[in-house]
Amino acid sequence: MEGRIIVVTSGKGGVGKTTATASIGAALALEGKRVAVIDMDIGLRNLDVVLGLENRIVFNIVDVVNGRCNLRQAAIRDRRIENLFLVPASQSDNKDVLTTAGVDRVAKQLRKEFDYVIMDSPAGIERGFENSVTAADEAIVVCTPDVSSIRDADRVIGLLYSRSITPKLVVNRIVPEMVERGDMLSHEDVLEVLSIDLAGLVPMDEQVVIATNTGMPLVLQNDSKAGQAFRRIARRLNGEPDLPVVVPSVKGGMWNRFTQKLGLKQ
Amino acid sequence: MILEDAPPVKLKGVGDGFWVTLDPSRSEELLKNEITKLFERLKHLAINARVVIDVGDAPGGDDLVNALGGFLKKQFDVGVVTRPPEKRVIPVERIRQRDLSRGWTQHRSDVLMLRGRVRSGQNIEAKKHLIITGDVNPGAQIIAGGDVLVMGRLLGQVHAGRPGNDESIVLALDFRPTQVKIGEHVAAGLGDTTNGQVEFASVVNGAILVQDYLKSNPFGRIPWPEVI
Repeated sequence: MEGRIIVVTSGKGGVGKTTATASIGAALALEGKRVAVIDMDIGLRNLDVVLGLENRIVFNIVDVVNGRCNLRQAAIRDRRIENLFLVPASQSDNKDVLTTAGVDRVAKQLRKEFDYVIMDSPAGIERGFENSVTAADEAIVVCTPDVSSIRDADRVIGLLYSRSITPKLVVNRIVPEMVERGDMLSHEDVLEVLSIDLAGLVPMDEQVVIATNTGMPLVLQNDSKAGQAFRRIARRLNGEPDLPVVVPSVKGGMWNRFTQKLGLKQ
Repeated sequence: MILEDAPPVKLKGVGDGFWVTLDPSRSEELLKNEITKLFERLKHLAINARVVIDVGDAPGGDDLVNALGGFLKKQFDVGVVTRPPEKRVIPVERIRQRDLSRGWTQHRSDVLMLRGRVRSGQNIEAKKHLIITGDVNPGAQIIAGGDVLVMGRLLGQVHAGRPGNDESIVLALDFRPTQVKIGEHVAAGLGDTTNGQVEFASVVNGAILVQDYLKSNPFGRIPWPEVI
């Protein structure tokens, strides 16, 4: 069976695309799937740092697309998580060195080699975005609960629809305390504007900063709320679409979850 | 209207006959000469043709038409000579009756009606009226030559009555646009709470005014439905 190519995109920068890519990729690999995470942010590569693999880069995606090496040479195998591979971006080139035709060709190869290919798209809707979505079968749009991020996500969703890709939404960096006080948009407010299927809700978590700086995949830390959320997102993508979405709450206790289920509380 | 330098007689083909437009202020002799010149060129086409002689509303028009009609029949064997059919003035009552019964059945509307969400970055232009059943997100732009009706949230930019139609309105069930233009008028930063009312924007005294639709009821005073 051919693998699925999922692009992680957002329009706006800094909303957590790279973290989401690394976490979802790692979580899918933990589920026993063969996963490649591809950094498409040519010139501004980050995914290798988040995954703690920056010291092992020899070749990159530009080399693969332009035929300077083959895919197996460029893919770095993660030593902590079996079946997780990273194809890093080039740090010295810019987005114009890739063409959609070249990416499509490599994508065909990636589909044969892996169960899941997660593409980390750069911010923006220009060439880099085009290259990332050209081969994608599915898309995950990441947004944070603020107006500017929602507007950019909305634009990206429109662009994805025009390419016949129906995206799913991840709302990242939810601060339940602020939502409760009314200082932050709730996920319902976000969904009201964007009106697409929800892949998951990720709470704000200090562990993300620690994990990013140490290069330790978030999903390996059992005490990380965000890591748990990404693991649930991965399960939803991987054949459990009906896994209930957990709304980040202040206490997160049994009582809250119980009342939520009963529909007594939003 | 007949211009000073217009020819005294004009001839054009209308359906199965001819339409002759005359300047009744000229002498009958001159008119006859001019008509002769024109009809001689028609040759056999004039035989048995229906001729309409239009002398406008000038007094004594009937006599002139009769005289010229006889002349044409004798000289060129034309068929029937008549004056133009009267333009019927339809009394208001009749218009109402007609509109209430079947006025819109033959009407082909210029309305663009869309269903679904208009997203940020999308641009929708309608030649005349635009109806969207769905929401218009912030960052979207919708433009119409006439009215804009949004059956949902209106959060984007909207321009009704482009270009220069100040009679247009913008109506939304949830009226919170980032910018409204009607014709040449612009309004920005309208209040962001509507308290659940249906509101509409229109140009009043040269400025855009947003009002509660049901309270001000802008079209309630039109006594019978009319096609727009």
